Amino acid sequence: MQVTGTSGRPAPLPRSARYYRVRKVLQPWFYNSALIFICVLMLLPVLGTLNISFRRQVDVQRKPPVLFPCDTPERSFDIRACRFVLEGYERIIGPKPNPNALFGVELAGRMISTYLPNTLLYALGASVIVTTLAGMAGYAFSRYHFRLRRTLMVAILAITGIPLLTNLIALYQMGVTLRKAFPGYEERIFLIFVYVGFFLPFSIWIVKSFFDTIPRELEEASFIDGCTPFESLWRIVTPLATPGLASAFLLSFVGVWNEFIAGYLLVSKNTLKTAMFGLYDFIGQFVIGYQVLAAACILIALPVVILFLFTRQVFFRAMVEGALKG
Amino acid sequence: MTGSRSSSGVRIRQGFFSRTLPFWLLLPTLIVLAAVQFYPAFYSIFLSTQEFQAGNMKYVGLRNYERVFSTSTFSDSLFITFAFLAGYATLTLVSSFVVALFLNRKLRLSSLYLTVIFIPWVLSDVIVGLVFRLFVVPDYGLLSSFFADPALFGPPNGVSILTTPPPPQVVPGIPLPPAPALIYLIFASAWKAVPFTTVLILAALQTVPREILESASIDGASAFNSFRFITFPLVLPTMVVALFNLTLGGVNGVGMVFSLTNGGPGTATEVLSFLLYTIGFGRLEFGRAAALSVFMAVINLALILFTLRLSRTGRA
Repeated sequence: MQVTGTSGRPAPLPRSARYYRVRKVLQPWFYNSALIFICVLMLLPVLGTLNISFRRQVDVQRKPPVLFPCDTPERSFDIRACRFVLEGYERIIGPKPNPNALFGVELAGRMISTYLPNTLLYALGASVIVTTLAGMAGYAFSRYHFRLRRTLMVAILAITGIPLLTNLIALYQMGVTLRKAFPGYEERIFLIFVYVGFFLPFSIWIVKSFFDTIPRELEEASFIDGCTPFESLWRIVTPLATPGLASAFLLSFVGVWNEFIAGYLLVSKNTLKTAMFGLYDFIGQFVIGYQVLAAACILIALPVVILFLFTRQVFFRAMVEGALKG
Repeated sequence: MTGSRSSSGVRIRQGFFSRTLPFWLLLPTLIVLAAVQFYPAFYSIFLSTQEFQAGNMKYVGLRNYERVFSTSTFSDSLFITFAFLAGYATLTLVSSFVVALFLNRKLRLSSLYLTVIFIPWVLSDVIVGLVFRLFVVPDYGLLSSFFADPALFGPPNGVSILTTPPPPQVVPGIPLPPAPALIYLIFASAWKAVPFTTVLILAALQTVPREILESASIDGASAFNSFRFITFPLVLPTMVVALFNLTLGGVNGVGMVFSLTNGGPGTATEVLSFLLYTIGFGRLEFGRAAALSVFMAVINLALILFTLRLSRTGRA
């Protein structure tokens, strides 16, 4: 029997049941292997860096380079002869015996003792402030209709279009002026506020869209039960909005952690600079210590990668909300 | 700003603080944004009319703009930026679309694949640039010999893809075709951008109603046709949003240029954002750098307003 589609053209001949059975078995295999291939492709740079980071200096400087430092005079690859060491990591961390320090070891490397703590401080400080302010502003935008509401919302959205980069010259000059004007001027606070201003607009939008999904009836019930708006915000809405606040926090945290140019230019003292600056500085310092550079990359990236692996659902949701509903 | 009613009309308790609650909630945000975003934006405009001489500023009108825009460094950089954006956006969109199509199947391991594919997104620009640099350092890089192959990449200088000079210009004065280093930069940037774009497109693919696809296949539409006439048009608005997101990120991204090429060889990878840094902090010509940053801010604002317009109409 000839089946005719709505387009008027004859539909393809019905296929045998066996065709569909085979397809049902083979199709997932096809998709799985394609996706595994894509995953490996995406991970190749990471795996390559890991591979470099565990090499010895002599193996990094082989000419021509070897794919794995596992060759012996007889064979080109022998798994028992692999020479992977921790030298690169040791040179970054710089462990030094020190009886006064915790566990009797002091971590003397600049990256561990200075740059990473700075980055952690800026990232935590900025994202705590961003989350608090975004929660307050997002709630106001989501729940109240006041004069200028639309104007302010559009203005805040438009600000997301002004990148940190184009404000940098002005911010740098502001820093110079402030330093001259106030002897007790603190660069770290200035930098944290720059980060807050930079990550706040986007966070407000994410948090607002989360507040929008919380039914108003809950708050109205709490008003009837005698809550003030502030109590209702704190006791009823905030716990429900935790996923939204968490995503604002995480996105800002990762954003500040990975930021380079402001942390590099707006801070003048080297002891207050960030891990990304440290890494950039290392490029000049370890000219041929490629395993050291690779180890530094891995060490700095590890915290945010682990953070992401544990909280990935929050990231995905926030991202789609933020980008599509803006 | 005296919102005394919650939006659905229930009367709430009327203290002064409660009546003006939205104002107090917004105040800190407005102060921070005014100090760190609005003021510097206007201060940039002011700075762009000043000439810095021995620590003093002098009003020079629009001379800074004239000086920046008339240089060949600027026009070269503009072309390099366009070449970069075109390559970056195309490569990222196409590969993200392919990955998203594969991920849009119900497989047991889908969320694992998505997580793995997403890892590059959490890495910093600087780290990605440095990682890609490590693979092509002269002599010792794992990919150096591949990229130094004269048969594949024209007549190189045999050292590294990052130092190979650009091929001769087709039209004199326009730095195209781009240097191999720029193409390598495009690949590194795309690698980092694919995850985000994939998630966007995947989200859009998942909103395509199953019933429509099923009824199309019952009506005899081939897989390609139902993709061409149903899936693709429904995903297109998201693709446009993704395109503008990519353009925004591409115009402003500077970390990767720093750690991967540092603008070189010569000025072959000096995109606008890197040029801004060079003028401002390399040559300390703050007035001119401010002029360039005003120019870039205008481009950015235009892009974001356009994106908003599009995503609004896409939703309605």
